[in-house]
Amino acid sequence: MRKPKKRGVSLTRKLLFVVERDVRLFFQYKAMVIMRAIWFVSQIAFFGLIASRMVAIEDYFRYYVGGLSTMTLYSAAIFIGFDIYEEAEHGVFEYLLSLPVSRRELVLGRSIGGGLRAFIYVGALICIALYVTGVANPLNLLLALFSLFLFAFGVSGMSITLAVAIKSSDRFDILMGVLDALVVRLSTAMYPLSVVKEANVFYGWIANFNPLTYASDLFRWGAGIESMLTFENPLLPLLGIIVFFAFFTFVGIVLYDKNIEGGGWQ
Amino acid sequence: MPAIIRMENLTKKFGNFVAVDHLNLEVEEGEILGLLGPNGAGKTTTILMLATVIRPTEGTAYVRDYDVRKNPDKVRELLGIAFQEPKMLWVSTPWDIVNWHAKVCGLSTSERKQRVKEVLEALDMWDYRRRNVHALSGGMRKRVELAKVLIQRPKIAIVDEPTAQIDIVGKHKIWRMLKELCEQGTTMILATNELYEADVLSDRVAIMHKGKLLVCDTPKKLKDSIVGGDVVEIQFEADPSPKIVEKLKQFKEVVKVVKSKSSMLRLYLNKVEEVVPKIMGVLMKDGASVSSIRMSEPSLDDVFAHYTGLTLEEAQKEGG
Repeated sequence: MRKPKKRGVSLTRKLLFVVERDVRLFFQYKAMVIMRAIWFVSQIAFFGLIASRMVAIEDYFRYYVGGLSTMTLYSAAIFIGFDIYEEAEHGVFEYLLSLPVSRRELVLGRSIGGGLRAFIYVGALICIALYVTGVANPLNLLLALFSLFLFAFGVSGMSITLAVAIKSSDRFDILMGVLDALVVRLSTAMYPLSVVKEANVFYGWIANFNPLTYASDLFRWGAGIESMLTFENPLLPLLGIIVFFAFFTFVGIVLYDKNIEGGGWQ
Repeated sequence: MPAIIRMENLTKKFGNFVAVDHLNLEVEEGEILGLLGPNGAGKTTTILMLATVIRPTEGTAYVRDYDVRKNPDKVRELLGIAFQEPKMLWVSTPWDIVNWHAKVCGLSTSERKQRVKEVLEALDMWDYRRRNVHALSGGMRKRVELAKVLIQRPKIAIVDEPTAQIDIVGKHKIWRMLKELCEQGTTMILATNELYEADVLSDRVAIMHKGKLLVCDTPKKLKDSIVGGDVVEIQFEADPSPKIVEKLKQFKEVVKVVKSKSSMLRLYLNKVEEVVPKIMGVLMKDGASVSSIRMSEPSLDDVFAHYTGLTLEEAQKEGG
């Protein structure tokens, strides 16, 4: 038998292979993908429509649909952390650590993969959202989509960082539940900042620094739902998202590089 | 042959439990080194440290002069590992798993397609390549795990209990494939608790127990190291004469001669293959009527028992 030819695999290619794996894997969970899509459409068709009739905020339905899109993006990007526990349970995490891929390539690839797959998935749902909300300025929308892309990377980087730091699926599950409650509820995904501040100044302060607020604002700005934006200048939320993305991507890399090893998962 | 892997005081502790205790061992280039020991002996932990999956607590190992602590990326470029428990998500298919593995390990597209098909066919997994892992039996999953290494053809292959849960025909096929892999220039570490597997595949066997290396040598030398470990049973038609018994005792390799009731002599000796012709010569010269001769060499289990005072089975139970 001949020895197979091996070519040097460049960093970019390895990264792409890691990204490819995570994207493929997500869509293998067909039932989950379908159920989430049904949930998204139901939220628009039932909750959004009904709730907007009892909320005395102008154009709340479109406002809610914009926020729902970024909330869904957030929860889809978080999913990579649960994947890591699934992999740890089946020993796949150790397999990945044994591959000729550096820890940096692995965590970066997984952050990108986790973000990209969430973006691809939610992309289809965003089309539904845009059909409902309409698009005022395509250029604004492109910039908004780009920032959502970075937001998804940041969220998946955060999820990976927390998953490998905690190493306990129960604790991770609880933490994600708490984080979801805080990140979603103390943001402008579902209600305008002025309402949040009215309820409690401290809540408003948190919402001001919440990446989900930035993502929701930018999406609304891109879709032309400008009646109740938190920030007048879209560059501010964009900057916030870039900082969020950079922080969790690099924290993830450092944590992986320095601390990660197989075993010890609960 | 120069050493391609050097372990120097390699140690791993999990809290107070010492899984691997100051292991010093070299693996020569091109050889198959069997790591033999019961469950809990430290074989898998050693392998995981070599594969840079877990970090040593003390000491280190060098793979082609790359330190597993300082150059883990370089080490992983040289290694391929088939884990003891198949590492795969249940929603994946064998095709997805091995094809992706081949990509990451740098096989060209044409070579990848060819090798994946060739190896899956050889392992009787081609027809099951599109099935989800959850629909496969334990033995099938094990074959998929092994396929990764066979497709990759790494410089150093580490296989952890490669034929566990696989039927006897499959075992022989896999042993042949592993041997072929080594003939292509791959160095192999074979971790196993199957004595026969270690015996037939390994050039050298390192016996581990409770995290420590007890002994490492060729299977033959290990067996020969047991004084009086070989046994020859001679069944005479009538009771052998005391003169014959005396002559047999004179051979320096013969440690003990026991005469049993039914005209049988049991000789405990060393290097059975060298002594038996001499014994035959004595018997023929004295005209002894022999109805049968049976020879048996010590097994690696005897070697293990010799060094630990336990059979492998007992040690397995002790290790939980």
